[in-house]
Parts: sequence; C-alpha cells; structure tokens
Amino acid sequence: MTSTTLSKSNNNDGIQEISFLQKYGIALFLGILAIIFVYYAITTQNYLTWFNFKTIIRDAALVGIMAIGLTFVTISGNFFLLSMKETAALSIIAFAMCMSNDYGFFLSLMAAVLVAVVSGSIQGFLIGLGGNPIVVTLGAAGILYGLAAWWSDNLVISFRRPNDAEWLGTGSVFGIPNITIAFVLIACLAEWVLRKTNFGRQVYLIGASRAAGRATGHENLMMAIKVCIIASVCCAFVAVAFSAQMSSAQANYFSSSFGSSGDFTILVIATVMVGGNSIVGGFGSTLRTSLGAVFISSVDNLMVLQGFNSGPRVLSVGLMIVFSIIIFAYIRRGSRSEG
Amino acid sequence: MFIKKIFSKDPDLAFAVILSVLLFSIFAFSNPLFFTLNTGFAIMERFAVLGLVGLALTLCIIAGEIDLSIGSNAALAAVIVVRFADSLGAPTSILLGVTCATLIGATQGYLIAYLKVRAIVLTVGTLMLLRGVSLFAADERTVMLTDFAVTDFIQTKMGVFFSPASILVIVLCIFVGLFMRYTKYGREIYAIGGARKEAVASGVSLTRPMILVFALSGFCAGVGGAIIGLRSGTAQPLGLQYLLLAATVAAFIGGVSILGGKGGVVGAIVGTLTVNFLNTGLVFNITPAYVVQIYLGILLLTVILFQTMSVMYEKKLQRRLVLFDTEQLRRKLIATTTKQ
Repeated sequence: MTSTTLSKSNNNDGIQEISFLQKYGIALFLGILAIIFVYYAITTQNYLTWFNFKTIIRDAALVGIMAIGLTFVTISGNFFLLSMKETAALSIIAFAMCMSNDYGFFLSLMAAVLVAVVSGSIQGFLIGLGGNPIVVTLGAAGILYGLAAWWSDNLVISFRRPNDAEWLGTGSVFGIPNITIAFVLIACLAEWVLRKTNFGRQVYLIGASRAAGRATGHENLMMAIKVCIIASVCCAFVAVAFSAQMSSAQANYFSSSFGSSGDFTILVIATVMVGGNSIVGGFGSTLRTSLGAVFISSVDNLMVLQGFNSGPRVLSVGLMIVFSIIIFAYIRRGSRSEG
Repeated sequence: MFIKKIFSKDPDLAFAVILSVLLFSIFAFSNPLFFTLNTGFAIMERFAVLGLVGLALTLCIIAGEIDLSIGSNAALAAVIVVRFADSLGAPTSILLGVTCATLIGATQGYLIAYLKVRAIVLTVGTLMLLRGVSLFAADERTVMLTDFAVTDFIQTKMGVFFSPASILVIVLCIFVGLFMRYTKYGREIYAIGGARKEAVASGVSLTRPMILVFALSGFCAGVGGAIIGLRSGTAQPLGLQYLLLAATVAAFIGGVSILGGKGGVVGAIVGTLTVNFLNTGLVFNITPAYVVQIYLGILLLTVILFQTMSVMYEKKLQRRLVLFDTEQLRRKLIATTTKQ
C-alpha cells in the first residue's frame, strides 16, 4: 500500500498517470456520442430552427433555475437536497392559496419565498449540525409534501385569469419568454455571486476542505443554512413561475407526472451532475449547471421529435448521469492521487 | 436487572423496542379494533412488503453507504415478475425478477468500489436509469396479472398472523441475520462501514464486501418488489417511490448510524414493525396517506437530531479528555523542571 503510493508520488508530485487507453477511450466515446447527436440533429426535421431553440431553452429554464440553486449546495460539499420538488410543492400551494384569496402577486410571491426560507433554514440547520444531507432532506421531503397536500386537501387550487402573475408565466419580451430571460438573469447573477463575492469564495473553500474552512473560521453550520436557503428560494421561484403558467396549483405538480423524465428532484440533480460539477464539493460552477440543463433539454427535445416514448427518454437521462459519474471518476483519478 | 443489562449492551435497540411498544400501546388503547388478531395479520402483511426493503437499506447503511435506487429496483423487479408471470409461470418469473435485481445490485457495488465514488452519487443515477428500464419493460403502462392463483396463494392465512409471503420474509431475515453475524463476509461488511480506512489498511478488499452488500440489498429489494407485485396483481413502472422514505425511517429507528458499522437485522425488524404500527394505526384512525408522510418525516428528523447530538456530545467529551491529558502532562513537566 505505502510502497505503491510512494512510487507513484515520486513520479510527478502525486499526479497519477491515467493510461493511454483510458484517456483516449473517454475522448473517443464522447466523440462518437457527439457525432451521433449531430447526425440526428441535422437529419431531424424542425430541430435546428430558431423556434425549437427557444423551446429547448424554455424547457430547460424551470429545471435549470432549481439546479442553479442546488449547485450552491453541491459546491459547498453538502451533496444534494432530496427535498427540491417538495419545497416547490409547498411553495406552489402557498402561492396559489394567496393568489386565490386576491392578495396580489407580490404578497403571494413573498409568501412562497417565506415558506422556502423557513424550510430551507431548518434543513440547513440540521445538515450543518452534522446530519447527513440525504437523510435529513429525505425526512424533510416527507414533511413538506405532507404539509402541502394537507393544506390544499390534495385538491387543485386555481385562481382567476386575468391575474397579475401571468406576465411571469406566459409573457414574453421581443418573442423571448420571460421565464427564459429569468433563467439567464439568475444564471448570470449566481455566477457573479460565486466568482466575485466573498460569500461565493467561502462556498468553494468549505466545499474543498471542511478542515481548512474550520481553521479559517468558516463553520459549515452557517454555510449550510445559507446554501439551503438559496436552493429553497430557487425552488420557490420555479414554483411561482410554474403556477403562473398554469394559473393553478396542486401538491403533486412536481411529482412523477410532471414533464417527461420521472422524478423532478432527480432531474434537477441530474442537471447538476451532467453539467460536470464535483458532487463532493469544491469544484464546479453555475455556468456548467446551466449548460447541463440546456444539454439535457436538447437531447430530450431531439428524442421527442424522433417520436420516442417516455421510457427511452428517462433511460437516456439516467445513462447520462451514470456516464458523467464514470467519466468524472476517471478524470479525477487522472488529476489527483487518492491518498 | 435484565432490562438494565440490555440497555447497557445495546441502547439503540432498547430505544427502538421501547418506541415500538409505546406506539403499539397508544394505538391499542385509542382504538379497540387495533388490538385484534386480524390487525396482527394485517401488520404482518405490511411487514412482508416493507421488512425486506428496510432490511436491504439497513445492510447498505451498515456498510456506510445509502442505496437510493432501492425503490426503482423493487419496482423493476415487480414489473418483470408481473409481466412474465402469465407466460413463464410464477416461479420462473420470480426467479428472473430477483436475479435481475441481484445482478443490478452487484453491478452497482462493483462500480462503487471500482470507481471509488460514494454510493449516493451512483445510485441517484441508477434511480433514474432503472425507472427508465422499468418503463421500457412495462411498455409504459401498468402491467397486470390475468391469473390470480399466485396472488391468492401468497395471501392465505397460515397460523394466526402469517401468510406464505410473511413467512418467506421472516425466513430470509433470519438467514441474512445469521450471515451478517457468523460469517467472515458479514463481518467484512461491518468492517468497511465502521472503519473503512482501518479495514482497507488491514487487508480487507473493498470490492468484495461492497459487491456482496449491494447484491444482498438488491436481492432483498427484488424479493420485496416481487411480493408487492404478485400480491396486488399489478405493477407500475413509476410506483413504489414511497418505499425509500419508509425504509429509511425503519432503518434509522432500528439503530443504524449514518457513519456505518452499527445496527443489525433485529434492529431492522423492530424498526420496520414500528413503522408498520404507525402506518396501520393511522389508517385505523382514517388518516390520509400524505399525513402519514408527515409523521414519518418527523420521526426520521427526530432520530437524526438525536444521533447528531450524541455524536457532537461524544466529540465534546473526547476533546475534554484530550485537554485533560495535556494539562496533566504539562503539570508533570513543570514538576520535573522545577525539581531540577
């Protein structure tokens, strides 16, 4: 054990060589996939059009915004939250309840955000104390979904059209949907926060090394609370946008029946992973996440145009996650020694 | 005296037993219908479903990993078993479904050990992958049995509380318990959970126990899925999502630690029974399914809070001990230097 590590670290400062086959195997594999993708993109009718491009980005927006929120959690080394869709469910119910009682858009938005902040800070507190993020958020997911269904009696809550939330859901500027614009703005803002502010650099620091963070006075407790609040608020925003689109809300809007690809939370996590963020923290960016969202959305769109059912589409997203895990495991093995 | 002995030996298990007895007696007192033989049978029927999945998750957590794909794996097994039960006959289809689930588990274990990734990372991917596969296998609709002979058979009452399904589950639990306790392989699984670095340093290969534990958990999930599918006669490719929460609650009540290396089959059984008491009791009081989720979530968070607090407390004690030691050392040094 020790002798091998020594001999390896003698070579070039702890950097292990990955074999020729592995290095070019990965490149070859990705290249083949890219060629297949380009071939189908060109031969599929109506795929490479401006209208379809807008559709792809619009589809990516809802998942993308949530995934941008989750990226903060992932980079800070707290893995991921399994309660994303349940937070959105409770927020959407809070929003629709307020809208149907004519509180106006702003107050309803505030109610949804408040719900998200409270639930996010409680989860963040438990995670920061040292609870496993997966288990904590699994439990929180049960509570949040239960509360949402209980509050709404598991019924659809609809509010009158026209209302002052429609601009967010269905409105557009110069033919570009507002939700797409919001996606781009949020992505830019998140990237700025991560790169340029003190807080963003702390996120990277704590994600890269808990011990280093603690030694420099940055405990994970406050960080976990902050990043969980960010992720939850992103969920609330998506919930509000989605509810504004439908002018209604139900607790299970974000459950398996939503969209094409199985479970919404897992789709969000898939977006973060496929974008190429390090799941153990310290490495990644929201730009990668946004690109991941667009990538998944464009593949999904291509498969829809080719007439695939939901089975192969869910399968393809699953394969994307697993391949990205395998590829990044290889890359990590190549760049950094294990010990 | 006896109780004190048990408490000092295994406080987590004692806590689990007390919790389950407490829950049972609350429901028994609040609703006279709850304390009947038929309810006992119903609880055992629920146990047949959740017991194996809870056990599967317990095994993974003992090895220090969490298998998030357990619900998808069970759903896939259910779909395969129900779909092929008519054409191949029930035993062959059960064999097929369970073999698939076991192989999937073993592959996951191999990948986790080989790629050196955390199980949650990989299983979140396979969660989605297996959903896709089961959608594929079911042709994206709910598959149904046409011949309900097997369904009737596994639900026949044997004894007072038992049916063939629950007896099978109990036998499997006993076998897994013996395996974990008395074989080298079982102890290896405990070792890589509790002290992975130490185990690897002392020559335990990471690959073998990892493959074994995930194959075992896949097997349990597969049998659980087969029982669920055959008993209801239908299987949904997107179903069984609730299993993960319920199984996690069962495992954590049963005394596993998220750090691994703790817990056992007896704990898993007690934990599952506790969840079943809660579930059945709440159904008796006409509670909708989503409210049951609230209770399960609160239960899980409470257990986690206790566990984190106790870990923090132990760390504090350790730190105090170290400080005490250094203080004594300092005094000794001062004493020797002043003598000179």
